[in-house]
Amino acid sequence: MEIKTYLKEKATVICLEGNLDGLTAEYAQENLMNYVIPNCAIVIDMTDCHYVSSAGLRVLLMTAKQLAKIGGVGVFSGLTEEVKDVMEMTGFSSIFESYNSVDDAVAAIRKE
Amino acid sequence: MIRVDTFATDSFGDYDLRPGKPLPFGATLVPGGVNFSVYSSHAKYCELVLFNKHEFEPFAVIPFPDSYRIGNVFTMVVFDLDFESIEYGFRMDGPFNFQEGHWFNKEKFLMDPYAKACGGRDIWGVEPDWSNPYQFRSRIIMDDFDWEGDKPLEIPMRDLIIYEMHVRGFTKHASAKVKYPGTFAAMREKIPYLKELGINCAELMPIYEFDEFENSRISEASGERLMNYWGYSTVGFFAPKAGYAASGKYSMQVDEVKTLVKELHKSGIEVILDVVFNHTAEGNEKGPYISFRGIDNKTYYMLTPEGYYFNFSGCGNTLNCNNPVVRSMILDCLRYWASEYHIDGFRFDLATILGRNQDGSPMHNPPLLETLAFDPVLGKVKLIAEAWDAGGLYQVGSFPSWGRWAEWNGKYRDNVRKFIKGETGQVAGLVQSIQGSPDLYDSYYRGTCASINFVTCHDGFTLMDLVSYDGKHNEANGEGNSDGSNDNDSWNCGWEGETDDHYVNRLREKQIKNALSILLISHGVPMILSGDEFGNTQYGNNNAYCQDNEISWLDWDQLKKNIEIFNFVKRVVAFRKAHTILKSRDYAIDDRPGESGYPEISWHGTKAWQADFSADSRCIAVMFCGKSLSNTEKDDLIYIAINSHWEAHEFELLGLPAGLSWHVFANTDMPSPEDIFDLGDEKLLAIQSAITVGARSLVILKAK
Repeated sequence: MEIKTYLKEKATVICLEGNLDGLTAEYAQENLMNYVIPNCAIVIDMTDCHYVSSAGLRVLLMTAKQLAKIGGVGVFSGLTEEVKDVMEMTGFSSIFESYNSVDDAVAAIRKE
Repeated sequence: MIRVDTFATDSFGDYDLRPGKPLPFGATLVPGGVNFSVYSSHAKYCELVLFNKHEFEPFAVIPFPDSYRIGNVFTMVVFDLDFESIEYGFRMDGPFNFQEGHWFNKEKFLMDPYAKACGGRDIWGVEPDWSNPYQFRSRIIMDDFDWEGDKPLEIPMRDLIIYEMHVRGFTKHASAKVKYPGTFAAMREKIPYLKELGINCAELMPIYEFDEFENSRISEASGERLMNYWGYSTVGFFAPKAGYAASGKYSMQVDEVKTLVKELHKSGIEVILDVVFNHTAEGNEKGPYISFRGIDNKTYYMLTPEGYYFNFSGCGNTLNCNNPVVRSMILDCLRYWASEYHIDGFRFDLATILGRNQDGSPMHNPPLLETLAFDPVLGKVKLIAEAWDAGGLYQVGSFPSWGRWAEWNGKYRDNVRKFIKGETGQVAGLVQSIQGSPDLYDSYYRGTCASINFVTCHDGFTLMDLVSYDGKHNEANGEGNSDGSNDNDSWNCGWEGETDDHYVNRLREKQIKNALSILLISHGVPMILSGDEFGNTQYGNNNAYCQDNEISWLDWDQLKKNIEIFNFVKRVVAFRKAHTILKSRDYAIDDRPGESGYPEISWHGTKAWQADFSADSRCIAVMFCGKSLSNTEKDDLIYIAINSHWEAHEFELLGLPAGLSWHVFANTDMPSPEDIFDLGDEKLLAIQSAITVGARSLVILKAK
C-alpha cells in the first residue's frame, strides 16, 4: 500500500492506494494517526483502494473513533463500488460521510 | 510494554514458533502471531496445515512438537502469519480400529472444531470442486466489534412473541426487493417490516456453518436441484453460515451477523438461534472426514459396542453430548454466541439427545442440561427444547428444566389444529392450551412460560397450507411423497389446493385468523412461523427441507394479496402486547374473584358460566380479568368466544360492572375492515346481553 498526502484548503487529503488488509493495516493506521490531531480536517481518498478487509475496516473505524475523541473531522472521497458494498453489507458504512470526489469532500468540510 | 511471551523460542522452516496456551481452544490472535490449540485424547501426532485461500495444497505443514503438548491438547504459537488470507486445519495420526471407535487417518485435512469462521462454502449454492481434499476450512477472525453499547435485551419470557424464520428464505424471492437477497444484510433491510408486525424475537433456523450440498441431488419429479436448505446438519458450531452473508465471499460473515444482531436489538427484537448439537454433518460410517471423526471419533460420537454410530438423530450419527469434553465444547459454544454475538436465546433441535448418556440411555439429571441451566454466562439467555428425538424419546411436559428450560409445545399445536378444524371432543384440550397447558407444565415448578405455543413451524405445513390441503404434497422432494408427516390435522376447506372459489378462500382466511388469534391470546409464549402473517404457501409441501426455490422462499407479493390477513395479525399482536392478562404468567392462575368480581380466567359456553366440555361441543368462551402492568388502577376484562362449528351460535355475555360495556375488538366472521379494530377504537356492541358468533369464527370483546 502506498499512502500519499497533500493539503487542499484547510483539509489534509490522505490517499490510500492499494489494498487495505491484514498486511497493510498496521502501516496505514500508523500513517493515519499522524494526521489525527485536535481540530484537524482529513479527507481519506479511497479512489485507488479497491479492497478493504476486516482488518482494514477496523483501521478506518478506529480513525473515526479517534477523530471523534479529540475533536477532528474526517470524510471519505472516491469509495469504489466494491468497497462501498463491503461496508454496507457488514454495517461499517456509517464510519464517515462519503463524497464522490476530493473536491466535493473538501467543499463539505468547508461548510462545517 | 512488550510482553516476554511475544518472542519466538523455536523455528520450523520459515516459521517462528513458541509453545502455545491450551486455552482457549481454536485459533486466537496474540501479539505478533496466532495461538493454535486443539484437543485430542487419542491422537499420537498432530500437525498444523496452512493454506492460501481456496488452494488445494497447504503452503506450510508444521508439526506440533511433543514438548508443546499439554495434557491432551496440542498447542503452538506461529508468528508473522497473514491471518486474514490463510485457512488452517490439522492432520492427526493415531490408532485406526473400527470396533474401538478410532478413525485416525493422517492423510485427512481436518477443520478445527472451534473454528470461528469457515471457508469452502463462501457463496451459497456455488458447487464446490469436489476434488479439493480440504472442503471445510478453518479461518481466523477479528473478534473485536463496535457494539455501541448493545447487550442482549433480556425481554421477559412472558412478553416474548417469537417469529420463526429462515434467513435465506425470508428475502431470497425477487419480490422481497432487497439489495442482497437471501442474506443477513437483507434481513437487516427488512427490520422495519418486523417492527410493523410487532414481533419482538426472531428465531433463526440454523445459521451455524453447514453444507447446502449435503445429500444434494436432482429431483426426478421436478428436475430441480435439491439441497440441504434448512441446514439441520452442523459443520462448524462456532462459525456462522458464510453462504447466508452477502460478505461471505470476503470472509466477513462474522461482522455481518453481529451488525444484524445489533440492529435488531436497536429495534427491540431479540435473536434466538436454532442450534443443532444432536449430530454433525459427518453422517454415518460412510460419511466424510470433516473434523471430529479424524480428531477424536471416540470422544465426540456415541458408538455402539461394535463401533457403529448410534443414530438417535435420524441423521447417521449422534454427538456424544454427555461426554465431559463434548459437554464443555457445547458450553463453550453457547457462551461464545451469547457473549460475542449477543444472542438472546437458543432453541435446541432434538434436545432430548442432550439428555442421553454415552450409551444412549436417557439420564435422570443430565449434566449437560443442568450445566446450561446454571451457567453464569448463559444466566439470562432463553433455553428452549425441542423435547423429542428420532430415537423415540418424547419429553414434552417432562424435559428436565431446573426452572430454566422451555419447550416447543407440540401438544398445543395438535389441540389448536384439531379444534379449529371442527373435530369433536376438543374443547377440554383447547382450554388447557389457552391457559398455558397446566396439564403439562406445573404452575409452581415450571409455569406457563415453559410452553412455547405454536400452530405451525418450519417443520410441517404453513398455516395457509394447513387450511388448503388435506394431505401433504411432497412430490418435488423426490421420494414419491413418502417423506414428511402424515399427521397434520389439516383441512382444505372444501378444495385441495389453490382455488378461485370465493367461499373457500374466505373460509381459509377466517381459519388463519382464528388460529393466530387463539395463539396470540393464549398464555405461554407464542411463536409465529414467518410468512403465516400474510398467507405464505409451500404449495402443500410439509417437509421443504430440500427446496431452495419458490416452494420455500417467502413470496412478498402475497403480502399485497393477503394484506387483510397481515393487518389482522399485526393488530392482534398489538392487542396481546397491550394486555398483561393475555400473556403468559410465571405464577399460578388465581381463581379467586378479582376487584371486578370475576376470576382471573373463567370458562363459558353459549350460556355464561356453563362451559360445555362434552364430546359434541364446538363452542367455548374464555374471560380474562386482571390488572395490566401499565394500568394498575382497574381490571382489564377481555372475553373471547370461539365457535368451530359450521353453524353460527349465540353466546350469552357476562354482565359488567357499572360504567363498562362490551366493545368488539375482533370478529373473524366479518369482512375487512370490520374484522378488527385499532387499539382504543374497539366498536361498541349494540346488544350487550349476547353476541352471535358466526360459523367457524371467533370474537374478541373488551370491556371499557
